[in-house]
Amino acid sequence: MKKIFTTYGMMTLLIASFLFTSATLFAQEETEATPEEPQKERPARPAFESGLLFDNATSTIQPSKTLEMIIQHRFGTMDNGVSDLFGIWAPSNIRLGLNFSILNNLMIGVGTTKYNKMQDIQIKYNVLQQTRSNSIPLTITLYEVIGIDGSADEKWGPDYKFSNRMSYFSQVILSRRFNDMFSLQVAPSFTHYNAHIVDTLDHDRIAISAAARFKFSPQSSIIVSGDFPLEIQSISEQHDVTILDSKPNICIGWEVSTSTHAFHMYIGSAQNIIPQENIMFNKNDFFDGGILIGLNVTRLWSF
Amino acid sequence: MKKSIKQLVLLSSVIAFTVTMMSMTQKPGEPWNIPAKYKTMKSTIKAGDASINAEGKELYNKHCKACHGAKGLGDGPKAASMKTSTGDFSSKAFQAQTDGEIYYQSIVGRGEMPNFEKKILDENDRWAVVYYMRNMKK
Repeated sequence: MKKIFTTYGMMTLLIASFLFTSATLFAQEETEATPEEPQKERPARPAFESGLLFDNATSTIQPSKTLEMIIQHRFGTMDNGVSDLFGIWAPSNIRLGLNFSILNNLMIGVGTTKYNKMQDIQIKYNVLQQTRSNSIPLTITLYEVIGIDGSADEKWGPDYKFSNRMSYFSQVILSRRFNDMFSLQVAPSFTHYNAHIVDTLDHDRIAISAAARFKFSPQSSIIVSGDFPLEIQSISEQHDVTILDSKPNICIGWEVSTSTHAFHMYIGSAQNIIPQENIMFNKNDFFDGGILIGLNVTRLWSF
Repeated sequence: MKKSIKQLVLLSSVIAFTVTMMSMTQKPGEPWNIPAKYKTMKSTIKAGDASINAEGKELYNKHCKACHGAKGLGDGPKAASMKTSTGDFSSKAFQAQTDGEIYYQSIVGRGEMPNFEKKILDENDRWAVVYYMRNMKK
């Protein structure tokens, strides 16, 4: 039962521990400073401006009856340098999505992505909402993405079944808005693919993601995130899990948020956009030339 | 033939100029018809509350600044494209209104002034924005 955790995974676990410890300390401090009897609990302002951060979901859910349109664009990697203008002329990936908030804490969404003609259905539900009094120090969110690969039937060979197309990404997001400037979230996830076209891939993968926002002006923030697939021998179908050679998806960029829009301009290492595709297939090494330019645009309409 | 083309170009230019100028002319807003319950509405926070320069400022910058400007002078980057003047929050006329009247205009809105009840859910946050605009008086 040998378990091999990547260095990145260990780092992320440390961040998670810090998040929980800090949340408890903050809760104690602020509770002691409020002598009056608590009135009605007020939810904290959202930890992140948008429900989307690069390729990841955040714990933020827009108010009920809000429609959110999403455009995500990923250029090619920069490793060919100026010959393809640092990836801008290289083959790109794009996703168009629509999210709708049914309740203040429940969102459903659909999307379509260029690579593999991936169709996706998303559900996000806030189980617990951080409060301003810190009686609840964290927001806890459940997030599910069901992917349907739209490639031709022949991709899966003669034993093709529709279920071969299906993939699932399940995540628990723990987030905290520490103050007006700084928010952090940690999100363990489980990815499952019903079928692969090669035997050198696992059907299951556990990963840990982390994301943070540093707001430095009324509408602008520095945002960072990392998705770290864990190479765990005990759940791997490979004799040696290291042959999977999974690479984390690391992103750093700039967020501009207005009343109805959020814009992300960033560099990152994964091009697949859909989280299970990034966790399972990303081979771009952020620290070895595997970076690309990404853009996100969201637009909100309230009904 | 050349003369006809010249006349056509001249006529098109005049029409384009006129339409542009008309679209740039902003009319002052019609008087607000504010329900009585809003006129006498009481704030859920106190003047001087710490949230005014925290949540109030943050929400104003996110939702209001693009049209009304950083200091409420109606000079935000989107103001010029509005049909109706975005007003001046530092003016005596604006500041003479009751808190409830400012609340109604800011949160409920009308026409080009959007409704923010779905974007600012917390009642105290709404009042923090109102008081933040109160601080813009000259």
